[in-house]
This record gives sequence, structure tokens and C-alpha cells, in this order.
Amino acid sequence: MRAPGATTTRHGRKTSVGMFLCIVPFLVLMFLFSYLPLYGWVYSLFDYKPALGIGGSEFVGLQWFEMLVSSPTQMQQIGQVLLNTLAISFLGIATSFLPVLFAVLLNEIKAPWFRNSVQTLTTLPNFISWVLVYMIAFSLFTSTGLVNNILQDLGIVDDPVRFLDSGGPKVWIVMTLWSIWKGLGWGAIIYLAAITGIDPALYESARIDGASRFQLMRYITIPQLIPTYLVLLLLSVANLLNNGMEQYFVFQNAFNKDHIQVLDLYVYNIGIMGSSLSMATAIGMLKSIISVSLLFTVNWIAKRVRGESLV
Amino acid sequence: MKHRRTAAFVAVAFAAVGTLTACTSDAEPPSASGTTATDTSTQATGFPEAWDQEIEIDVFGSLSNYMGVQEGWFSKIVKDKFNMRLNIIAPNVAGGGDTLYNTRVAAGDLGDLIVIDKGQQMDELIEGGLLLDASEYYPSMANTAVFDAAVQNLNAEVDGTYGFPTQVSTLLPTQPSEALEPTFGAYLRWDLYEKAGFPEIGTLEDLLPVFKAMQDAEPTAANGARTYPLSLFADWDGNMMNNVKQPITYYGYDELGFVLAKADGSDFQGLLDDDGMYERVLKFYFDANQQGLVDPESTTQNWDTLFAKYQNGQVLYSFWPWLGQSAFNTEENTAEGKGFMLAEIKDQEIFAYGAELFGGKQILAIGSRAEDPERIAAFVDWLYSPEGVNANGSQTMGAAGPEGLTWEVASGGEPALTDFGREVFLGGDATVPEEWGGGSFIDGVSALNVAVVLPASENPATGVAFNYTTWPSFQELVETPLSVNWSERMGGAASGIEFLVAANQLAVAPGASYTAPADSSQIEAQRNQVKAEIVQASWQMVFASNEGEFDNLWSTLQSRAAGLGYEDVLAFDMENAQAQNAARQAILAEFG
Amino acid sequence: MATKVITPKLRNARAQRVATSRTAGARLTIGDLLFNAVNWFGFFIMVLLCAYPFYFLIINSISANDLAAAGDVRFWPQGIHLANYEQVFQLRGLPMAAAVSVGRTVLGTVATVMASGFLGFMFTQRRMWKRQFWYRFTIVTMYFSAGLIPVFIIMRNLGLTNSFWVYILPWVVQPFFIILVKTYVESMPESLQEAAELDGANIVQVFFRVYLPNMTPILATVAIFSAVAQWNSFQDTLIYVTDQSLYTLQFLLYMFINQASSLAQAAQNAGGNVGAIANAATSQTPTSIRMTVSVIVVLPIIFIYPLFQRYFVKGIMLGAVKG
Repeated sequence: MRAPGATTTRHGRKTSVGMFLCIVPFLVLMFLFSYLPLYGWVYSLFDYKPALGIGGSEFVGLQWFEMLVSSPTQMQQIGQVLLNTLAISFLGIATSFLPVLFAVLLNEIKAPWFRNSVQTLTTLPNFISWVLVYMIAFSLFTSTGLVNNILQDLGIVDDPVRFLDSGGPKVWIVMTLWSIWKGLGWGAIIYLAAITGIDPALYESARIDGASRFQLMRYITIPQLIPTYLVLLLLSVANLLNNGMEQYFVFQNAFNKDHIQVLDLYVYNIGIMGSSLSMATAIGMLKSIISVSLLFTVNWIAKRVRGESLV
Repeated sequence: MKHRRTAAFVAVAFAAVGTLTACTSDAEPPSASGTTATDTSTQATGFPEAWDQEIEIDVFGSLSNYMGVQEGWFSKIVKDKFNMRLNIIAPNVAGGGDTLYNTRVAAGDLGDLIVIDKGQQMDELIEGGLLLDASEYYPSMANTAVFDAAVQNLNAEVDGTYGFPTQVSTLLPTQPSEALEPTFGAYLRWDLYEKAGFPEIGTLEDLLPVFKAMQDAEPTAANGARTYPLSLFADWDGNMMNNVKQPITYYGYDELGFVLAKADGSDFQGLLDDDGMYERVLKFYFDANQQGLVDPESTTQNWDTLFAKYQNGQVLYSFWPWLGQSAFNTEENTAEGKGFMLAEIKDQEIFAYGAELFGGKQILAIGSRAEDPERIAAFVDWLYSPEGVNANGSQTMGAAGPEGLTWEVASGGEPALTDFGREVFLGGDATVPEEWGGGSFIDGVSALNVAVVLPASENPATGVAFNYTTWPSFQELVETPLSVNWSERMGGAASGIEFLVAANQLAVAPGASYTAPADSSQIEAQRNQVKAEIVQASWQMVFASNEGEFDNLWSTLQSRAAGLGYEDVLAFDMENAQAQNAARQAILAEFG
Repeated sequence: MATKVITPKLRNARAQRVATSRTAGARLTIGDLLFNAVNWFGFFIMVLLCAYPFYFLIINSISANDLAAAGDVRFWPQGIHLANYEQVFQLRGLPMAAAVSVGRTVLGTVATVMASGFLGFMFTQRRMWKRQFWYRFTIVTMYFSAGLIPVFIIMRNLGLTNSFWVYILPWVVQPFFIILVKTYVESMPESLQEAAELDGANIVQVFFRVYLPNMTPILATVAIFSAVAQWNSFQDTLIYVTDQSLYTLQFLLYMFINQASSLAQAAQNAGGNVGAIANAATSQTPTSIRMTVSVIVVLPIIFIYPLFQRYFVKGIMLGAVKG
């Protein structure tokens, strides 16, 4: 009954090297595609030009990193950018429970035809690229667009409301709402799958004890989804600085730029990505280090709080 | 007996000569090339007359708008002449910005024929060994040698002949490179300008009451939407707000980084100078907006929406001829006398680019890993020949297409469009006959999309320019009530350029082919920061609610820009502007 | 399984009509009805919000292009025509690209699902040598990247550029899916594995015979995500492939969009040639092309999707194994 390749540790438990060997081919793949390319981080120390290769490019040391913090106005800009990034990330985390709720409530719909249609149709926004989303938003919310026409016809407002080109912190909320619209149906799929995996016996015995449907939801369904939710939450926290660029790029204009510019967009806007590969590598390096640190820090906190780590 | 022998001898001699010419003449497109001028472009050079093996070469076309193997009538010509297919690799189409360029360069093979920018890009590729030294083929390139000065200038700093210039011409560098209409100008809806009574426009700001009058004359367009004289867009904002720069060009300035340099070198301004041209135009737009003359959707719309508005007649002013005219000056509209035409601002001196003496920004080069560099060199050489210029230039650049297909030399010795040519250029498109390659004409246009020789240059075979829009025969064809009306009003001028030259309102910057040195990484980073500030503040200023806010924004912009390194970048740009001017003055001295 | 389902003795007729087997045993209250009504209504609104934009794309792609570009088409299509779709279906190389896309989607998804399932399962095995280390080794790769050029060079050195395998191999190990599977497996009863091992199965047999058949919901989820990602991806074609016979459908369409934008720009930059404007209603604008392409790309997904939905039906398995 011993698993192949088992050895005995000093704790007396048998550790299996055989199991490890089973996954080695996959680890090799991962090493090749994810770890090996990391040698490219050395580009951040050079003024790398692809035509000249690393050998022909000039060595500049920490110049790129210094440039990021070189002047007060720059620091202030980066400060604002980080604020935007963190604000939007936190709003995202605050609303991260919505897909769970969505899945739980959808599960309460008993008619399969409605449930399946809702599930399919609510995933549609996920497939519409942000460029097109902006086009639709423009058509609806511009000063001569549908929403303003309705508002004016109903007499609610006299002048068109400037939905798209007004600034201020409310931009964060608007962007979060768009993200929710786009990702809710798709994100709920994971939880729907998890719900179908819940042992029916749990429900049966609770019903025998006289539980109402709300109590079933609250005490069985949701707790069963918590492990998945926590892991995904951890992953989002580690992605704190990576909001992506496309969504904010299409919506930005001179009036909301101060509050819409997240880190990825800022990097794109100041043209760093285009011509200077080295600067891009430097920034990518910093973001990676921060993300990984966040990952392990939050994991450690979770371990202290819950008693077991998430990863 | 004697006669017969002489006759036989003569007959044999003729036969011999006949067979010899038959052996050496090129394979021409059968039948359809009923041209009188035989093509001597490849016979004059030292290249082989024909190639046996068919090859397909990779063309890295940084300006190309089509990706894949070239098809249609142009590819037939190339196949017949060089037994070659062109596989176009187009970063514009493949997307991803510089990604394609970077990965191909990193792999060491950019392409067999390469179209890229001169200056730093070319230098790096030479240093990296990606370009071929074509010195051994250059002596055979007779057509290119016509522009030898430009070739030498391009390769002056390197050892060998790596790059071949584009946009060369026989024009003097002090002549404008634009053929008919200037690049910039105040193009107004002529019919509405007429309704307003053709008021005189003394200076830029006088446009405002004219705009108002025009808007009042037609407050709603045909589709029911409100009309606005000004509708702006942000898509092309670079070093500054693009739309603000355009009226500045009416006074002879062009941008070089953050510097506004006058064509004749009499003034250099920084963008953020108080009371400078940039602030002046910002104020102009601000005032326009206060009067309700600016489309409020400007801040959030993109190019496509804007273009559709022009097509629908919702916008009444255009910075460039090719925006308003190509959208709105349709056959229908011009027949009714409606369309965009150049208006005169009395004190204007519109900036024009002189024909570049040593060629334009792009160059052609042969890749170092090309398998048959001789053939590619022959192809490049053909692109400089009259036949090549006509075939390679796209119709949007004014090249006339292959002789015999779209145009021919008429009985009077003047070139004129054929029926087919008329169908293509005036009707939009036509199906090419099978013997020329088949397919639609537009689909068969050369995908290289680079004018090797400027169409405005003179065709040695016909004595007039390659650009068919300048041919008198064409101008007769396209007269419309609109153009007639305009011409009358503007002293009988046939085109915008003609009028401006006559009125002395064109400031031609001599084409010195000056390339500014590349930004150092420090300057580049500063520039990117500053320009983001400038663009953002400019938009806010145009749409500011009152003058107080306008002034506040301006001073805030100046201080923030200063904090991000504006002064350093400006100093660098000023230096370059002075160098550019020195080069221009030198050209002026030589050719003026 | 020996559980007994106790049906309550009291049931009113209305409850009988409304109740399904799952709610058998619960009395239906006013609260329940209200909840159902609100629930249905809420989801109905959500469906409107989500489906309307897509409907908007569809009607715009079949409406006259100039109206669409002006933003006038909002509720009903106007000036219906199919020229946009014809243009797309006339693209050169479309059938081949479609075949490549289908190929990579099917093969890639199968590979990813198998790998994710297996790895997710293996990482739950506490006895694995240095399990936690290797798990973290895998997860952490989601958060760093060295950039385009180094990865490209490695792909080239491995001979994967211009090869079909570049669409499959890099996608095999996906940390996110592994996490999903692992979390799911951890919620399954351990007795499953114990029972199988008691019968003498080794770990691989345990996976294939016992766990795999019971992981269908999560595997279906992984399959959907993976299939969609494979179907939509074009970046890898852009970077690694220059051989036209390996172009994917998405890449072809992406090029089509870019080309149209470039051409539209070029045509608009024309030297103001009078009269060369084709019929504005059917001539392509970049907007009309984007919308058409979007619709074409999404439709296959909408049709395939319901096939996966049947895996989200509960309870095929656990009852049978327990006890």
C-alpha cells in the first residue's frame, strides 16, 4: 500500500517523491516560459536597443530607477497616480463579493430556462472590448446622447449633464461601476460551479431541521464559497498595482485625467513603453517585486488570522 | 545579280538586327501597353534583363497599410519585371506599436527590403548589421543616380551605401512640395461664407464673427444636428494640443519639439511663452467656445465621429484641406456649390514645406540577410524610374498609375487620363482588365505606401509633373460650380497654392532635409512628462468657464511644466531649431 | 447512501405547484414569493443592462455605416445591409485561419483542462515532497514577467516561433486554474481518496478513476475560461508567427480592423480629390468594422456556451460514493 517512491521523514510521515516526479514535466514547462526569461531583467541596467543587442548597448546602472524619483513635481504626479491606482483597486476589492452574491441569488432561480439565459446573457459584456464599450458609452452619455435626451425631455435637467468629461474622485466610482458591469456575469461562473459541488446532504439535513431558504443561503451556500472567495481575494490584493490599461485609456480625456490615470496608463501615457524598453523593464521589475511581496504578506496575515495559509 | 545580292545582304542585315533587338528587349505586359515611349529603365542599367527563379521577398513597410502578399496590377508588374513577389510586413496593420519591429530586430532579420526612418533608426540598424552595404550594386543603378546628391548625403556618415532616399524630386528646395492645396489653411464652407457676404478677414481673430455668421446661416445640418464651426479631437495630440497648432501655421510657424519656428528663421518661440502664438490660439478657441462656436463633444469624441460629422455637414471649418474636402466635397455637394475651400486671412503667411533636397524622413534599404540582393537593388532602382514612380505611388499621393492603363499621352502631346483612369480617380474604383492583373484598382495599389520620388516632381518622359491633378486636362475635368465660384473670387487662381504664391502669402521653408538628433533618454523622459501637462492644460483652457480660470490655468501650466524640466527640453529644441534654420539658410543661399 | 428524505405532512396546494424537488419539505411563504419576484426582476434588469450593449452592436453592424458612425442608431436598425459582414467573409485566408483557431481552441483547452485538473489534484496531496514550495513556485509566476523580448528569444531558441505548438505549450500550466481546481478538490470529501487507495490504486489511478469524473463543474469552468482565452488570443500570433498559414481568426480580424483604420486615415489624408467618395452608407468605417468583428467573434461563444451549462447541474456524484 505504499505509494511509489515514498520515504519516511523524521516526523514519521511518508513523503512521496514519486508524486513530485509526476508533476516535474509541468514544472519544467513553467520554468522555461516564466523563470528563464527573467534574465531579461538585466535590460533595466542598460540602455537596451534591440538592434545592438545587450552587448552593444550602453550600461547605465540605476539611471532608470533614479529618473522615476527625480523631481518634486514628478513625485507629486506619481503620488497622484498611485492614489488613483490604489483607490480603484480598493473599490474593486470592496465590491468583490458581488459575484458571490450574484451566484447565490441566481442559484435561487428555479426555472432552468431563465437561469441559463441569465447566465449566458450576463457574460456578454465580458466579450466586448473596451474600445467598443467606450463607443457605446459615448453614444449613450454624450451631451447629445440618449441619456441626456431623456433627462432633458423629462425636464429633470436643463443643460446636458457632462457624464464623460467631468473629473474628481467620482471618476473612481464610475470606473468601478463599468468594471462591475463588464465582469460580474463572467466572474460568477466560478462560484456557480462551486455551488454545484456542494454536498446535497448538507442541504437535506438542514432542511430537516427546519431551515428557511435564507438560512440555507446564509449558513450553507455562502460558507462553502468562502474558501474560493478568499483565495481569489488574495490574488486580487497581490494585483493591487495592476489595474490594466485599456479601460482607463479609452475613457480618459483632459478633464478626468487627474483621477483616471492609473499606473499602467501613466506608464503608457508618458510613452515609456514605446521607445525605451529598458525603462519599461525597470518599472515592470518594480511592480513584480511589489506584487509578490504583497502576495506573501497577505498570505502570512491570513495564516495568523485563520490558522492556515491560503497558498 | 548585284541588286539581288545587295538586297539579300540588306535583308540578312535587317534580320540580324531584328533578332538581336528581339533578344534584348524586355518582357512587357502584352498588348495593352500601346505606348509610344519604350521603356528603357531596365535596359539602361547594368542589371540582368530577366530573372529565372521566382522569389518572394519580405518587405518591412513601416508606412504600409496592408499586410500580406501584394496582389493585383502592381504585383503583376513586379512579377513580370523581376519575377518577384512581395510579402508585406506592416507594423501599422499587425498592431502592437513597436513590438513587431523590436522582435524582428532582436531575431536579426528585419526583412529583405526595408522602409524605415533615417537618422537614429537607420544608424542603429547599420551598427547592428541588419542592413546591407549596397555599394557594389549602386554603380548599376542608373535611375537612382539621377538623385546622387541625395544618396550621398544620406550615406555621408557611414562607410558604404546603406540607405536610399525617398521623396526626392527635381523641384527646387525653395518651391513648395505641395502641388495644389497647401498642407494647412483656413478652409471654410464656401457656400456659407458666401451667405455671410464674403466678409473680409483681416487677421485670425476676425474669423470669429465670420464663424458666427456662418453658423447663423445654417444652424442645423441636413441630419438635424446642430452645426458648429469648430469641432476638435484629441487623437493626434503629441507635443502639444494638435488642433491648437494648426492656426499657428497660418503665420508661418511650424513645430520642432516645443519650439515654434518661423519658416524664414525670423522668429523662434517657446510653446509656453507669454503672449506667444500658442497662447494666442488658445485664447482664440476659448473666445470661440464662449460664443458657442465650438462643438461640446470635442472633448470626448474621436476621429471617426469627427469625420462622420464633416460628411454630414455639421462642421463648418477645417484645418486641413484633406479633412473637409475629402469628407464633404462630393460630386453632389460641389455641383450645388457647397464645399470647403481656402479662405483668405489678409495677414496670413501659410507655412509650406519646401521640396526636400536630400529626401524625406523615410529611406529604403536592403536587408543584410536578403538572398538575392542584386534583384532587390534592381527593384529599388526601378522605383526611381518614371515607370516606377507612376506605378508605385498610390492614387492618394497623386501618382497616375501605369501608362496605358490609367493615362496616356494624348494627340496634342499632353498626358491625359484614359476612360479607365477617369473611372478610377473620379469614380472611386474600377475593375482592372485581366491582362493588367485583374482585381479592383484600389486593391492592386502598391502597398509600400512610400513616395520614392515626389509626384510633384517632373517626369522627364512627358515634361510635366507625375501628379495627374496638376495636368491641365485633369483640371478641366474637375471644374465644378464650387471651384469656379472660388476661382472667380480669388483672382482666377486655379488652386490654393497658386493663389497663395500670387498673393505672397506662402512661407516656404527651404527643404534642407534636416533631421534633429534623437532625444537623450533624459530629455525624452522629461519631454513625455511635460507634453502630457501641456496637452491636458490646453484642453482645459479652451473649455474654461471664464477668463479668470483661463489665466489661472495658463500660469499653473507654466509652473508645473517648469517643474518637470520644460526649460531643459526647450533649450535642446531651440538648439535644433537654430541648426535647422542654418541648414535652410544655406539652401536658400545656394538656390534662392 | 442511506439518507432518508422526510417529506413534511403539511403541504398546501400552492406550495405543491411551486415547489420543486429541491424545496420539497419547505413551506412557501409570502416572503418567499416576494423574494422570488424581486429576484426575477433584479436579474431581468441585469440582463437588459448586459444584453442591450451587445444588441446595440448587432443593429449597428447591419445599419447604414454613416448613421452608425454618427451614433444615430440606438433601438432599431436603419438602412439594413449586410455589406459589413460580406467584407469580413471575403477576407483572404479566412477559412484557414478559422481552422487554426478551432484547432488551437480544442487542443489547447483539452491540454489545459487535463493539466489543471491533474496539477490541482496533485497539489492537494500533503505527502508530496516539498509540496508547499512547488505550489508557491507555480503561483508566483502570475505576478512577474520579464517582458516581451526575453520571452520571444526563448521561444525562438526552443523552435516554437512559426510553429503550431506555440499556441499550446505556453498555455498548459495556468496557475489560476490550478488554484481553482485545488480549492474545489479540497472541498471534496477525503474519504474518496482513502476508499480508492484501500482498493490498491496509485495516485494517478486515483486521479483518473475517482476524482476526474467528479470534478466536472470546475473542469467545465476551466474549459470555458480556457476556450474563450484561446479563441480570443491574438498577441501570440502577432509576436511569434510570420507564416500566414498559422494565422488565427482573431489575428486576421485584428489586422482587418487596423488595416481599415489605416486605410481610412490614408484615404482621408488624400489631397482633397474631388468626387472620389463612394457610397457612404456601405463604405467601411473603422467603427463599423470593429462592431462587425465583435459580433462575429462572440457569436460562436454564445452558441457553444449552453453546451457547458449542463455541467453546472448539481449532484451527479457524491451520493453514490459515500458510505
